[in-house]
Amino acid sequence: MTDLSIQVRDAGCASVVEPSGFINAHTVRQFEGALENLVQAGRYTILLNCRELNYISSAGLGAIMGLIETVRENKGDILLCNLQENVFAIFDTLGFTQLYRVFPSEEEALASLLEQA
Amino acid sequence: MSPTPAMRMEKSDFRLTIPSQTRYLNLVTGLAKRASQLAGMDDSTAAKVSIAVDEAVTNIIMHAYGGEEDHSVELDLHFTSTALEIHMWHTGVGLRGNQIVLPDPKEYVKHPRKGGLGLLLMSRFMDEVRFSEDKGRSECCMIKNIA
Repeated sequence: MTDLSIQVRDAGCASVVEPSGFINAHTVRQFEGALENLVQAGRYTILLNCRELNYISSAGLGAIMGLIETVRENKGDILLCNLQENVFAIFDTLGFTQLYRVFPSEEEALASLLEQA
Repeated sequence: MSPTPAMRMEKSDFRLTIPSQTRYLNLVTGLAKRASQLAGMDDSTAAKVSIAVDEAVTNIIMHAYGGEEDHSVELDLHFTSTALEIHMWHTGVGLRGNQIVLPDPKEYVKHPRKGGLGLLLMSRFMDEVRFSEDKGRSECCMIKNIA
């Protein structure tokens, strides 16, 4: 089993990034690259669907943090959904749940974006 | 010669030595999670211990060894009746307790930046985190009490 695989798809109002596995210092470049590719393509609204994410270390959080200013300066955002309990604990412990909008499901996150548009 | 703490091994200990390469992080965190469960912790607590170990070993590989891959990281898991102790030894540049400044999460939210979060996760998810040095070897010791 590979440590991390990432699926990226277009959901209209957002690009959905779905990491599966572990985001740590070993795999973070792959994750960072996926996010950077979207930003370089002008896709500034990114929804991280974390349903298959087993854990994310501070290296992965740094990758998200490194892009948040860029996407928000371009009227976009990074949203989170489907966080497993331990992944939510990491985000919450560090105060990231105040920095990012977190949704129980992908559908609710996309609906919120459509309402906002 | 009396044994150093790293050399002392008891029946309840488990020891693993890995090369200083991030490819082994998953192996180490998996071990930490299973060891926590074996010590009697629930899945949620075990997951937090495994994250703390990921952060500690990453710090050793990336900062103590500067990303050099030809060194070793030694992990010693010590099971007691009240806690799981995780000792991590290396010969790189060690942290001293007085060099550690944990970011304030409230300030971090106001002024986000990249980096500086690993030590905070370690301190929040473990009951005790300490750094020491003995005869040219540096240690990070983390303790999780069994509820």
